[in-house]
Amino acid sequence: MARNILCVRLEHTTRQRWQKVLYKRQSFPDNYVDQSFLEKLRKNVHARKYQYWAVVFESGVVIQQLCSVCVFVVIWWYMDMGLLAPQWLFGAGLISSLIGYVLFDAIDSGIERNQSGQTRWGDLKNSVVFVAFTYGFSPVLKTLTESISTDTIYAMSALMLLGHLIFYDYGANAAIVSSTLSLNMAIFASVCLASRLPRSLHAFIMVTFAIQIFALWPMLQKKLKAQTPHCYMIITLLFALSALMGLLTISIVGTVLFALLLIAISCLCPYCLIRLQLFKDNIHGPWDEAEIKEDLSKFLM
Amino acid sequence: MVFKVFFPLCCASAESGLLIGRWIPEQNSVVILAVIHFPLIPGQVKQYLSKMQHATQVQLSVLGSWTNSKEKQSLERFLEDLGTIFSQGPWIQLSRGKGSKFWNCFATWKESSSSDVEEIIVVYYDQRKVMLSQLHPLNKCVVSSDQTAADASKLAAVFDTVAKSKLLFMKDRYDEGPIQLTHWQSEGVEASIIIELLKQVSVPACVLITFLLSLVSGVCKSRALTFWPLSFIWSKLSTCEQLRHRFQHFQIISNEKAAPDQTQLMRKANIFVSLLIDVALGILLMSWLYQKNWTGYLASALVPVADHIAQQLQNLLQWLMGVPAGLKMNRDLDQVLGRFFLYHIHLWISYIHLMSPFIEKILWYVGLSACLGLTVALSILSDIIALLTFHIYCFYVYGARLYCFKIYGLSSLWRLFRGKKWNVLRQRVDSCSYDLDQLFIGTLLFTILLFLLPTTALYYLVFTLLRLLVVLVQGVIHLLVDLINSLPFYSVVLRLCRDYRLASGVKFRVLEQEAGKPLRLLMQINPLTYGRVVQTYRLPTYSCYPKDSWASLCKKLFVGELIYPWKHKEEKQD
Repeated sequence: MARNILCVRLEHTTRQRWQKVLYKRQSFPDNYVDQSFLEKLRKNVHARKYQYWAVVFESGVVIQQLCSVCVFVVIWWYMDMGLLAPQWLFGAGLISSLIGYVLFDAIDSGIERNQSGQTRWGDLKNSVVFVAFTYGFSPVLKTLTESISTDTIYAMSALMLLGHLIFYDYGANAAIVSSTLSLNMAIFASVCLASRLPRSLHAFIMVTFAIQIFALWPMLQKKLKAQTPHCYMIITLLFALSALMGLLTISIVGTVLFALLLIAISCLCPYCLIRLQLFKDNIHGPWDEAEIKEDLSKFLM
Repeated sequence: MVFKVFFPLCCASAESGLLIGRWIPEQNSVVILAVIHFPLIPGQVKQYLSKMQHATQVQLSVLGSWTNSKEKQSLERFLEDLGTIFSQGPWIQLSRGKGSKFWNCFATWKESSSSDVEEIIVVYYDQRKVMLSQLHPLNKCVVSSDQTAADASKLAAVFDTVAKSKLLFMKDRYDEGPIQLTHWQSEGVEASIIIELLKQVSVPACVLITFLLSLVSGVCKSRALTFWPLSFIWSKLSTCEQLRHRFQHFQIISNEKAAPDQTQLMRKANIFVSLLIDVALGILLMSWLYQKNWTGYLASALVPVADHIAQQLQNLLQWLMGVPAGLKMNRDLDQVLGRFFLYHIHLWISYIHLMSPFIEKILWYVGLSACLGLTVALSILSDIIALLTFHIYCFYVYGARLYCFKIYGLSSLWRLFRGKKWNVLRQRVDSCSYDLDQLFIGTLLFTILLFLLPTTALYYLVFTLLRLLVVLVQGVIHLLVDLINSLPFYSVVLRLCRDYRLASGVKFRVLEQEAGKPLRLLMQINPLTYGRVVQTYRLPTYSCYPKDSWASLCKKLFVGELIYPWKHKEEKQD
């Protein structure tokens, strides 16, 4: 305070105006600022105003992924119990894949395919590789974890599926997002779970189904969301309902909890986000801000 | 300033005369080498000195006069006058009183400038011992300061002077000449005649041996023995290594040129004695082997032992194929590996039984090789062990290869699992975007390898332990061979019997001290310690010592790289 007074007096005596430059030698101390300094202060520059329904729409990705995991687990349970014949699942998967493949090109009338240079031949090759490798390895997969305790396998699968949900690319621009890791974790979990199934054919169908639901389905979703948002909303709702229905046949409590979770994510979380936005108090000004630019990916090594 | 006079003990009883020796001005000391008796002509003395100086390369000069008490005392005037004839540096007048322990010593200088009154120390030394001894400079780490290094170099100058003036010392008593010296050396003449004869004989013997060696080396280097598979086998057999090593030794010994310096001479002698001891031990072993038909006994015992080992291995494999130590392994892979190894053992046993009729003959002939030396016999033993445990080596290689493949696969697939890849150019891990099919197959393989790893790792662990056991036994044998090869027997015996020959320094003992008289010291030689003898004269051997430490060994074991005994022989013993 005393120093400021001194500076003011200095200013009066020397009749010099303080300038915010470093290249001039001025008769002020280094930490001196005058009244004009805080004029540049801005608040909440980057804060965004969210629309409630827009946020709900965006949360559809999370809902979809949760439902995918749920559907996968439910189908696995059916297979494990012997309630679902693998042929049926294979048939259903094949038909839905074909429909999805046609839809994938039909939505944007083949524009993206032309841009990326992806050929039908390449798609066929990929699918043959998937099927052939999975079929070839299915006897190995069947006996792979025979000597390992079932609880260990369950715990490992649960962790891997959780990891899949955590690292999934929901569209956020964050360091933790890694779609590769997420997909690999899902495949790992599916292989673990498939090895518990009674026969090698079951294992083969299960892993194929895992590819369809974890690798191919999100690709179609992304396109749907970009091109036809209304259609995407309806499909999300239908998918969530079918997941809930499937879960209902296994456990009522689980269904209720899962439904609550879905509602919380799609309705409660957007509301909270918008409410909390009001408390945002972020100042910007003509000073160097301390920004934390830590690359989180190096902790994941 | 202290003025030191080094005086040989054998001159203490000499008749009066002139002292000749070397004046070392830097150290302010005088090394007296001999006494020239009195009836002399100065011109002849000067001539003699210049001749000697030419022969010995030592700056010899007349340093003073020596008076024994038996002589008359009226010579003092004359002695001082002599100084004016011969003086170059200081002029010393040493005289020994009758019945008195104390000697008188005066030093005068021609130039009066440096004639400040000095304290004189007379140091007695045994000329023969000092001449024969080899002074070993201190190690670098032992020299703590410049002062000790300077002292060591001063001492080295004295030793060097005495050693070079051998010609003055080795005088025959009956060698009549114009100059009469104190010294003579007539003891051991008979032995020296024998040595001289041996020297004469050894030259043609050396030539013969050299011729034979060149013949043998010519055969060894012929193309029939060096084409690929054979040369590979030669390099892996320790017997061949040992024979090659001994061959080089023979070449060194049979070289008819005299050794240029003391170190080379010692090296030659060490090699020769080590060779002799080796062959003697080998012949002892051979006589023991053939005395009571031990080879037959060994041969009959060998097949049951091999059978027993195979049986033990089969039991081990059966145990591994079950539930070893309660570990849960992949049953199918376990069965496959177990059957594979069991088949191997079966093959091995049939091979041994096929060989069994010939084993006794083979052992009999192999036993003959002991006459080439114990080390050769030991090397052959090591090779036989290696051959008999070949199945263990095979198991180890299979296990290690499988394990190594799994570890490398897992490490690269783990990178793929995280969406990274190894950038070879930058030597680091980069992120990479994979295709869907790559990711799928990679993860599938990763899962399979991960769940199969414990089974492979257990097999690898068990066979590695077996392998290490065999390598340990071989390592002990090689250590023994290495010991015989490298131990400098000659130097050790020399240190034991003639300890003054290998000097590490000197110590001084005070003889008499009285005011007004010069201090008299006796210089004695400190012998080298046995540790330093071995360290200095250790013969180089062919076995390369391992460069990688324990940590890198453990890392290699962990990664599954093969560990070869012939590359890192002593690794397990250190």
